[in-house]
Amino acid sequence: MIITKKALSRRTLLRGFGATLALPLLDAMVPALTALSSTAARAIRRMGIVYTPNGMMMPNWTPKDEGASFEFSPILEALQPFRDQTTIISGLADKYGWPQGDEGTGDHARAAATFLTGVHVKKTEGADIQGGVSMDQIAARALASDTQLASLELAIESVEFLGACDSGYSCAYANTIAWRSPTTPLPMENDPRAVFDRLFGATDSTDAGARRARAIKERSILDSVSDRVRELQGNLGQRDHAKIAEYLDAVRDVERRIQKAEQQSARELPSVERPAGVPPTFEEHARLMFDLLLLAYQTDMTRVTTFMLGREVSGRAYPEIGVPDSHHPVSHHQNDPEKLAKLAKINVFHLKQFAFFLEKMRATPDGDGTLLDHSMLLYGSGISDSNIHMHDNLPLVLVGGAAGQIKGGRHIVYPKDTPVTNLFLNMLDKLGVPAEQIGDSTGKLPFLTDL
Amino acid sequence: VRPIRWSGIALALVACFFAGTEMALPPRIAAATQATGHSTPDTSHATPATDQKSQQPADSPRALLDKYCVSCHNARLKTAGLVLDRDAADAGNVATQGELWEKVLRKVRTQAMPPAGSRRPSAAEYATLTTSLEHALDAAAAAHPNPGRPTAHRLNRAEYALAIRDLLGVDVDVRSMLPADDSGYGFDNVADVLSVSPGLLERYMLAAGHLGRVAVGDPTIPVAIATYRVPPLAAQTERMSEDLPFASRGGLSVRHTFPVDGEYVLKVRLQRTYTELIRGMTDPHQLEVRVNRRLVKQFEVGGLAGRPAGDLLKYLQSADEDLEVRFAAKAGSALVAADFVKEPKLAEGIYVPPPPLASFEFSGKTDSEAAIDSIQITGPYNGTRPEASPSRQKIFVCQPAAQADEPSCARRIVSTLARRAYRRPVKPEEVDALLRLYEQGRAGGGFDNGIEWVIERVLVAPDFLFRIEPEPANAQPGTPYRISDVALASRLSFFLWSSIPDDELLGLAERGRLHEPSILDAQVRRMLADDRSGALITNFAGQWLYLRNLRGHAPDPDLFVDFDDNLREAFQRETELFLQSQLREDHSVIDLLRANYTFVNERLARHYGIPGIYGSHFRRVVLPDDRRAGLLGQGSILTVTSYAHRTSPVVRGKWLLENLLGAPPPPPPANVPALKENNEGGRPASVRERLEEHRKNPVCASCHARMDPLGFALENFDAIGRWRSVDESGKPVDASGVLPDGTRFDGPAEFRRVLLAHADEFVTTVTEKLLTYALGRGLESYDMPAVRAILRQAKPDEDRWSSLIRGIVASVPFENAMPVPRAAVAADARRVQE
Repeated sequence: MIITKKALSRRTLLRGFGATLALPLLDAMVPALTALSSTAARAIRRMGIVYTPNGMMMPNWTPKDEGASFEFSPILEALQPFRDQTTIISGLADKYGWPQGDEGTGDHARAAATFLTGVHVKKTEGADIQGGVSMDQIAARALASDTQLASLELAIESVEFLGACDSGYSCAYANTIAWRSPTTPLPMENDPRAVFDRLFGATDSTDAGARRARAIKERSILDSVSDRVRELQGNLGQRDHAKIAEYLDAVRDVERRIQKAEQQSARELPSVERPAGVPPTFEEHARLMFDLLLLAYQTDMTRVTTFMLGREVSGRAYPEIGVPDSHHPVSHHQNDPEKLAKLAKINVFHLKQFAFFLEKMRATPDGDGTLLDHSMLLYGSGISDSNIHMHDNLPLVLVGGAAGQIKGGRHIVYPKDTPVTNLFLNMLDKLGVPAEQIGDSTGKLPFLTDL
Repeated sequence: VRPIRWSGIALALVACFFAGTEMALPPRIAAATQATGHSTPDTSHATPATDQKSQQPADSPRALLDKYCVSCHNARLKTAGLVLDRDAADAGNVATQGELWEKVLRKVRTQAMPPAGSRRPSAAEYATLTTSLEHALDAAAAAHPNPGRPTAHRLNRAEYALAIRDLLGVDVDVRSMLPADDSGYGFDNVADVLSVSPGLLERYMLAAGHLGRVAVGDPTIPVAIATYRVPPLAAQTERMSEDLPFASRGGLSVRHTFPVDGEYVLKVRLQRTYTELIRGMTDPHQLEVRVNRRLVKQFEVGGLAGRPAGDLLKYLQSADEDLEVRFAAKAGSALVAADFVKEPKLAEGIYVPPPPLASFEFSGKTDSEAAIDSIQITGPYNGTRPEASPSRQKIFVCQPAAQADEPSCARRIVSTLARRAYRRPVKPEEVDALLRLYEQGRAGGGFDNGIEWVIERVLVAPDFLFRIEPEPANAQPGTPYRISDVALASRLSFFLWSSIPDDELLGLAERGRLHEPSILDAQVRRMLADDRSGALITNFAGQWLYLRNLRGHAPDPDLFVDFDDNLREAFQRETELFLQSQLREDHSVIDLLRANYTFVNERLARHYGIPGIYGSHFRRVVLPDDRRAGLLGQGSILTVTSYAHRTSPVVRGKWLLENLLGAPPPPPPANVPALKENNEGGRPASVRERLEEHRKNPVCASCHARMDPLGFALENFDAIGRWRSVDESGKPVDASGVLPDGTRFDGPAEFRRVLLAHADEFVTTVTEKLLTYALGRGLESYDMPAVRAILRQAKPDEDRWSSLIRGIVASVPFENAMPVPRAAVAADARRVQE
């Protein structure tokens, strides 16, 4: 249970870079014997966006009926176990995915670059890229002070920002959906090892024994170092004194982190070895990345994540599921049944990885519920029919309880061309960081949060 | 009437006589120099208090200030916040107004003031004012030297990497381990901005943990994958590096550290199109993998002939699946390379130039040449403890033959390591503390593990991470003292090598000999001759000249289709080799502007239009004409001072003023609109025309009249440094300009001659930049006398690199330090925060 009631400042615990494994067990922060309902505490809310590239085989995505009586479609089938917390959203559009004026092709790059921003991007293959701030980054900025990492950006494919990845568009547009500022697209990390290091620092594994051994070694080293600093402080000039005091503060912070880690090293975390690097298959890679997302949520390292299962225009082949062809050409299926079938297979395969993650989120206790209860996870794409690059009626599904704020089990169809950014207004609202406007938004969506 | 102040300037002139003859200033005069207001007139030197003004000679500093400066800089107008009225500013009392007068001196010396259009002093008058101010300031400084006090320096990322190399013999890629540092005053080794956060300490601990394992060769080190990519925009049509075989094409050669003896797997990934099809697979290619130049494996890949049509797609997706070799490697750093054997080619048909690498057309092209995307090295497998890796040889100065020898051997290893890492003698108690940690580690995993714990501890110790110079016990705020020889050794090695002192340097310091002028001089010469002084080029020159920006610079691929990573690499290499030769051959620093040679390979020679150069290796060439003489003709600098899509005379002019002439223009006032770019369809205007429009605004003109002409002089070089005679707008290049003082020039060669006429300003600027870098702090007005002293002694030696560097090493701020009063520290801290 993570409580924002300030009986004990969370910030005091959180200031280290790696206050990693220490955090979720914060029950101690709620004054004993206070009924939960009578505290100001609220469950932590988390938001994640999972993006799948090259559009969707729409006939196999959209459920037949609207409302609570909908039936899961072949692609969405894997979400069946989460029906109560699943809202399928149809009808929304990413206006700036379409070419503006005489911009012409480049729909893939535009789809990724505008998906979370709702802002037109400058057509350029050069370094003078220009877009908007993405909604995850609006949230990240607002929540930055609560966690060690403002946000986490993950991807399966490369993080290259140089060169052109779509006609007339720099790779920066196609390879990320997260934009910190209109000129700063955030690179997405695809190496699980780098992600692990960012989350857990010098540990070889999340295994309890390894964490304890590491904590003991680090504590011994830091003890020895702080003895030395105290001795040093005796005979320093004024300025040096200030610098060394800063260093000592850092030592104290890390010590606190280690102390917590030691206390909690017995706590069960999914055992994840420090990954060696990128696993060879898509499935292993995707699951490892999802595991890292789970760990990041579970340890409250961050509350905002984005994850691209492929960059736009991804040409990855999936021989392991009987699709030896490359994804992008297949997505231009020309209604060829064979290609449509292959595209559907890829769509199902991607969604299965997401469902695997949901299962783990649901199995992970968090406060009075589970991680899934306290999260809002949006899965979708900036392209619907990929054959001719449609940017309306986007495939979107929102899963998770958002701490009891979203009623699932429905398929809601909105009027054609309702901006997808309207949905983002709702999401940020539920996250507790309401925004007035995101890109081309016109106002919050109705019905979504009817309970 | 302020008679006493006028006595001040007379005194200063007396004082400079003493300073000039290198005598200490007599205390009585020094005191009088500081006299202010009407108190204690020293009648033995001052003229009696009569009507002074009429007695001032017409060329006295005060008279010149009155004549040329105060009409704007007076108490009423306060132009630029500067008041030079005799009531407010006392030219004789420089000791307490050093900052003000150094500012005035700089403007006067560079003749930046009075502005063009107003009445300006004659050359003789400029000289008089400059000389008298300099003398007064230098005399005041000689009487009350202020060496400043750099704060404890945290090692920056570059220094950390080099220190690890020299301490542990481990070559590490610190870019992946530590964040980049902030910089101040143009350099990232400035102590004030090098802070420590908890996040950074965590990174240091992570790095220390890894380095400890690699250094002792810990066989339990987990399997790791290291990926090295060929720069994606590098054409792989030629031999890529001098570390690759002659008959090779494409690929890369990298220095990789194998942590332990063991087996490693190297996998080659080929470049793919955006549809994930491997390029250039139509014909077969030979691909080689080498370790330390020895062939480890030759693969054949590609060749579609004879494959069933149904398999082609799969093959194009997976042709590189088996490009994998497992080999045994010894612990330590090795050169790992992968490349293609160059295939002889017959020209056939009409030559169609390939599309630019950054274009979308290229990213979909499967019939371009096969190219290597990256190599991945995974391991170790079956790792064993290395017998004698370079790092073990450095660390294990003894090996315990039996368990009974362990304590004494551990003590030797630990003391040696700590002394080198801390760059000073280590007290027995310190060694004891480290040995306690060794014991803990030994108990858990044996002797080596104990040493590993100590390495980790040493690498996060403040004594290693910070350069701390202890103050002597009797140090008094405001009183300078000479730093210890041991502290001097570190200042020297971090200045010249960006790393820790070696045993010779540290030994001399410990024996208290280093400060002896002949020994110090010999050490500086030795250090400059050592390869480690290459750090001066990457770290000092790289930042001074903005060369570090080249890596991230991205010229517009539509306009500069020629630009690729090969050219970027060549630019970088050219300037590095050029600077290296300048430094090693101990040229005058002025040669940076006028040297008639450079270094090129075929690619760069073609770019510059120099005929007859073949092959990818760099060689020294004498330039055929003086267009490209010196640094200003080099692609690196011309490119980083341009925009992605066009040249910018403003950026180039500002760069010249700031970095070569030491006269940075102030930042533009708020609300200045950017220069309008050409609108499509409208009449294209040249950059010059647009800038002229801009300079019609007098506020803009005050600075742009200085900046723009300098940039115009280089207009013959386009935004990637190619020679051109027609500019972006299609008009003939006009590379002429007029400086504010009326000097005219046309083209880079004439401009160079104008610059050389200002060689003194250039040498001063180099010295200031170098001193900033050497001290790791911003220069203050009280450092200017030291700068002038360095310049004076370098001048007879033709301003050679060695004489500037030796001058810096022997300067007041480099050899001395001064404790600062508490209040000043607090004030500075506020300033830094703001």
